Amino acid sequence: MVGLESMSRYVSPVNPAIYPHLTLVLMSIGVFFTAWFFVYEVTSTKLTRDFFKECLIALVASVFMGFGILFLLLWVGIYV
Amino acid sequence: MCALTTIHRGSMRLLVCLVVAVTGVVAAQDGINKDLINKKIERKLDISSQLVKVTQKITLENGGPAPVRAFLVTLTQVEKDKLSYMNVQSGSSVLKVSEAQVAEHRDLAFFRVDLRDPLQPGKTANVEVEMIMTQLLEPYPAYIQQGEKQLVRYTGNHYVLTPYTTTTQTTTVTLPSPNIESYSRLKPTTHTDTSITYGSYEGVAGFTVDPMTIHYENNSPFLMVSKLERIIEVSHWGNIAVEETLDVLHTGAKLKGPFSRYDYQREHNSYSSIKSFKTIIPASAKDVYYRDEIGNISTSHMRIQDDAVELDLRPRFPLFGGWKTHYKIGYNVPSYEYLYSSGDEYILKMRILDHVFDDVTIDELKLTVILPEGVRNVAFETPYPMERLPDTVHYTYLDTVGRPVVSVTKRNLVESHIQDFTLHYKFPAILMLQEPLLVVIAFFILFLTVILYVRLDLTLSKDDATEAKMRVSSHCEQVHTHHEKRARLYEKLEEEIQKLKSSKDVTHSQTATKKIQGSIRDETQAISDLSAKIRLDNAEYAEKVAELQKLDKTLRESVVQQLTNVEKLVAGKMSKQQYMDAEAPLHKKKEEALEKIKVLLGNI
Repeated sequence: MVGLESMSRYVSPVNPAIYPHLTLVLMSIGVFFTAWFFVYEVTSTKLTRDFFKECLIALVASVFMGFGILFLLLWVGIYV
Repeated sequence: MCALTTIHRGSMRLLVCLVVAVTGVVAAQDGINKDLINKKIERKLDISSQLVKVTQKITLENGGPAPVRAFLVTLTQVEKDKLSYMNVQSGSSVLKVSEAQVAEHRDLAFFRVDLRDPLQPGKTANVEVEMIMTQLLEPYPAYIQQGEKQLVRYTGNHYVLTPYTTTTQTTTVTLPSPNIESYSRLKPTTHTDTSITYGSYEGVAGFTVDPMTIHYENNSPFLMVSKLERIIEVSHWGNIAVEETLDVLHTGAKLKGPFSRYDYQREHNSYSSIKSFKTIIPASAKDVYYRDEIGNISTSHMRIQDDAVELDLRPRFPLFGGWKTHYKIGYNVPSYEYLYSSGDEYILKMRILDHVFDDVTIDELKLTVILPEGVRNVAFETPYPMERLPDTVHYTYLDTVGRPVVSVTKRNLVESHIQDFTLHYKFPAILMLQEPLLVVIAFFILFLTVILYVRLDLTLSKDDATEAKMRVSSHCEQVHTHHEKRARLYEKLEEEIQKLKSSKDVTHSQTATKKIQGSIRDETQAISDLSAKIRLDNAEYAEKVAELQKLDKTLRESVVQQLTNVEKLVAGKMSKQQYMDAEAPLHKKKEEALEKIKVLLGNI
């Protein structure tokens, strides 16, 4: 076991002061890709849609939305 | 007084056995050393608040031939039951105290204090015994009316209860006000303002008892926290959330008769009732809330000071004897104040309980620490013994298997118990990614569901017309894509022509232009193929595409002609004038073709 003397004070890997900015940036990118995804889904027909393209947009959208939502939770005070 | 309880997860049963064993050892038989003498005792009895604070400055003398290692501190059974805190010091070092039993005095409670260095024969040692007892002051009368003052009675002993002979002793009693109903006298006794001095008494034998009674006015707040639940939630995203749920009871003389709000507001004569009290929380606290079951209690003030945040809390109603209130206090503190780390190892060092109000007495404390998900190897240490409750799990946002919860409990605490606990645990930092990844996966599943949903074909009969329309529109879209590619190729080709004009390098240009022309042919072929496919479903659109191809042919021919002309011009096979004459109609033809294509494309 390591003693308290040899330890350093713990700070979050992301500075809590930038949670709002991170939220806004990540969420706007995420919302953009989500919108693109849904627009693509409703405008394409079964002959024109490309599964690979759909998956790629969905993946990018979900990564940005996921991290965006996390920082939104942290921003509003739900420290998960 | 310092005991260490290092407990690992899952070893609760073992701990219980250990505690039983330790208590068994502690309560061992002790004899009274007749050689020890209290040369001098100065006792201070502070009964100005709801607590009884006793301080004894003892000068011990070893009158025997052998060195003495320990001495005994004696209390009556009543006092022992009410004893909340005990600390024995010699100079600045804290001495070890353990419970003891003496065979001849079963009715009394004894504590053995181990001296730091054995007391040599003939030598003296100074020790200071500090004790705090709760619920020892008895409201007398037990019921009072709204406007009456609160009187309490203290019952004790004029002499310091000790197993040893005392050469000289004095007792000073501190009172909250000069108003005394009655007090017992044992000469010499002096009463000045807010203090009574008994003694000095000379040559008092061990275990001498002479009952002392002081009946006096005490309007200080008799507030007891009957249950304090303190929840500490650690987040590795940089925050520690603290929430305290308190049940507060006024333990003074109970209110008799009715309560008149009118009298309460008009006359300021509700002496023992409690309107408001102060709670001090850490200086770094933010997002503070004070609420109960029905929401925020607005009658509170927060003052931010340099070293603390002071909360002025006013319950929804004043508290009279026997009245209770229930509320919650919560705040956030940054993790760097209390959490330390080194690699995957973490130590949380925080207060077991925090300030509630001055001279507080807490009947039952339950401390719960909620750690992040994935924490292992939890070791909990407290500066005084506490009962460890079984570990549980807590579920909140973005949890899967639940967060480990460590909780301890203890009864009868006072302000002196505000000390730090240390909680050692292991947490791999990579697990912090679990929470965002959960949201990412959730979103991805949603998108996948949509992808699957749009692929579901739930129609019972095949609609050929719609199918055909869909095919045509899909093919037309492809025509657009191919045409756009082709248009870009034409632009490239023109760029090459311009380049050739300035560089005059025909061979180099020809390789590039040949390649571009080849690509244009490929695209045109693709469009022709599509046209054939469209023709199967819709002849009208196929015609349009065919026309597009025709126009494209004109366009290509004129561009190729331009290219040939420029090549000729560069090679000197054509004069500048000839070139200019040929260029003008070609350009016009090209522009016309482009214009028509544009219109046609809008219709496809």
